[in-house]
Amino acid sequence: MITSISARVERREQVTPVHVLLRVHAPEIAADAQPGQFVHLRASEAYDPLLRRPFSVMRTEAATGALDLLIQVVGRGSRLVADAVTGATFDLLGPLGVGFPLPPPGTPVSLVAGGVGVAPLIFLAEALSSAASPYEITGLFGARTAEFLCCWTEFAGRCTRFTAVTEDGSTGQQGLVTDFLAQHLAAQASRRVLPTVYACGPLPMLAAVAHLCSEHEVTAFVSLERWMGCGVGACLGCVVPSARAEGPRYVRVCKDGPVFLAGDLDWQAMPE
Amino acid sequence: MSVDLSVNLGGLLLANPVMVASGTFGYGTEYADLVDLSSLGALVTKAVTLESREGNPPPRICETPAGMLNAIGLQNPGLEAFVADKLPTLAAPGVPVIVNVAGASLEEYVAVAERLSAHASVAALELNISCPNVAEGGMHYGVCPQSTRDLVAAVRSVSRLPLIVKLSPNVTAIQPIAQAAVEAGADVLSVTNTLLGMAIDVERQCPVLANVTGGLSGPAIRPVAVRLVWEVFRAVRVPIIGLGGIMTARDALEFILAGATAVAVGTASFVNPRTVGEVLCGLRAYCEESGVTRLADLVGAAHPS
Ligand SMILES: Cc1cc2nc3c(=O)[nH]c(=O)nc-3n(C[C@H](O)[C@H](O)[C@H](O)COP(=O)(O)OP(=O)(O)OC[C@H]3O[C@@H](n4cnc5c(N)ncnc54)[C@H](O)[C@@H]3O)c2cc1C
Ligand SMILES: Cc1cc2nc3c(=O)[nH]c(=O)nc-3n(C[C@H](O)[C@H](O)[C@H](O)COP(=O)(O)O)c2cc1C
Ligand code: FES
Repeated sequence: MITSISARVERREQVTPVHVLLRVHAPEIAADAQPGQFVHLRASEAYDPLLRRPFSVMRTEAATGALDLLIQVVGRGSRLVADAVTGATFDLLGPLGVGFPLPPPGTPVSLVAGGVGVAPLIFLAEALSSAASPYEITGLFGARTAEFLCCWTEFAGRCTRFTAVTEDGSTGQQGLVTDFLAQHLAAQASRRVLPTVYACGPLPMLAAVAHLCSEHEVTAFVSLERWMGCGVGACLGCVVPSARAEGPRYVRVCKDGPVFLAGDLDWQAMPE
Repeated sequence: MSVDLSVNLGGLLLANPVMVASGTFGYGTEYADLVDLSSLGALVTKAVTLESREGNPPPRICETPAGMLNAIGLQNPGLEAFVADKLPTLAAPGVPVIVNVAGASLEEYVAVAERLSAHASVAALELNISCPNVAEGGMHYGVCPQSTRDLVAAVRSVSRLPLIVKLSPNVTAIQPIAQAAVEAGADVLSVTNTLLGMAIDVERQCPVLANVTGGLSGPAIRPVAVRLVWEVFRAVRVPIIGLGGIMTARDALEFILAGATAVAVGTASFVNPRTVGEVLCGLRAYCEESGVTRLADLVGAAHPS
């Protein structure tokens, strides 16, 4: 069930110069949220910026009703959210969208994060590592520089095996995270059970993940970002092109996603 | 003190005057967790066309100062799928369903209107002759009195439902078009649809929307919409549905005082899904505080008598 609540900021932590971890009190949403789902947050009561901003749920604590969001400052809305002081309140709608489906027990999983896309994957890694029969988790986390490898210890701590990748080599391996996914998939090719891949990050990264996984015939789920109006499926503003023969040509990131089976999307027609 | 909030829209009776605007409330179900659907004055659907339409390629929306641009492009499943899949779940008991109708030709409008008129759960039709976002979205009908007259008359001849005509703000003079629609048989006028606009991404040096232009909505357009309602009220004697940037009860009152019998909440539902309910409460409170027993008495009250 989607609820609309006024959520109080309980803790604010400046994780890097451009990332803030916000803990808000949102019991109704925290109780229901699944990894990959998001909240639609009203950054200001003023009319400018007018529209809500979507942010992934990074962690929930059902017992206390806490919900964690990882905010990267990229513009006015995210700046307003990141600058919130303890005690401030935000209007939140959630949980929204379709999250990551968990793989059958025994399936090895590979989590591929790009930048702030790590947020929903931390939540997923937590669910996978605390499952009744825990999964073998390979974590790959890429970013421009060490600074953007935000919250990497929390991510790495849930993984069986973890590789950090930066474009400038300032931390971990140097290169693109998808180069390391390619190596990883090649090494897995002879296994009896192929891994399932989960990815969240910038669109070019997701397109590369989709391409690699289709080459290796590996199932991949990707979480997309689009500008949103309503966030609940009503306005048809957040769509991306579908590759499925049945159903509409354009599907809604907020309602049909944000998590999609990579093969269900038309990557050729994907807007920037 | 009890306040009578009911209104009569050309034969269509609403328990209260606060409706939701076409294209901003999906098919109702999307907001079922958040809004008491039975409290809506009426529910207006996304535009329905004869065949399914895939809509425009993305990006389809973009935020602007106190507003947004959209170029959805009339994405909808088409008439038959609408009737089979959407219509049955649309209606909350007692809440009239108004279907927004669009088409690329006069024949298409007539076909859709005729089929919907046979359906008991459709309370009224709203002809969208004002969509700015598709080459054949009807706006060319809504910017010329003669083509407005022809289209409305053709639909009138196949439907006995209350007929609402939704006017375009993208005209030099709205009064001749409003008069043409009424003379051809419109029972109610909706004022207004979105204002044609565009935004350019200065980094990439290209339009933000794939469709290049889009329709501007939200509080930024309210003064324009209020002015249009004012002008239409002076030109015709049928009820008006006022919309464009309503965020609060006071905004809705501006429209009512300018001449709107009912109001519709659009973009505001994205910002705050509770807006419809808050506007209704605020209207009631305003009437109580100012000793008004029938909201209908306020319609057009700002005009010199
Ligand atoms: C489902 C979902 C989950 C998300 N989760 C997170 C998260 O956990 N943490 C986080 O920091 N961010 C997340 N985002 C992205 C976040 O919503 C945007 O960064 C934010 O809305 C930007 O608002 P702004 O006002 O700061 O930027 P604006 O001033 O609106 O824009 C700044 C720049 O970012 C671009 N931009 C803005 N919004 C988007 C968007 N939605 N997609 C692509 N480009 C955009 C603009 O073109 C511009 O260049 C998520 C987005 C979605 C759709
Ligand atoms: C995303 C979106 C989709 C819309 N779709 C339709 C539509 O299908 N038919 C129609 O007549 N108007 C449509 N409109 C226009 C609204 O019904 C309304 O006239 C306009 O947005 C002004 O009101 P507002 O400022 O309160 O949103 C749409 C508006 C938006 C924002
Ligand atoms: S944001 Fe409105 S449909 Fe997705």
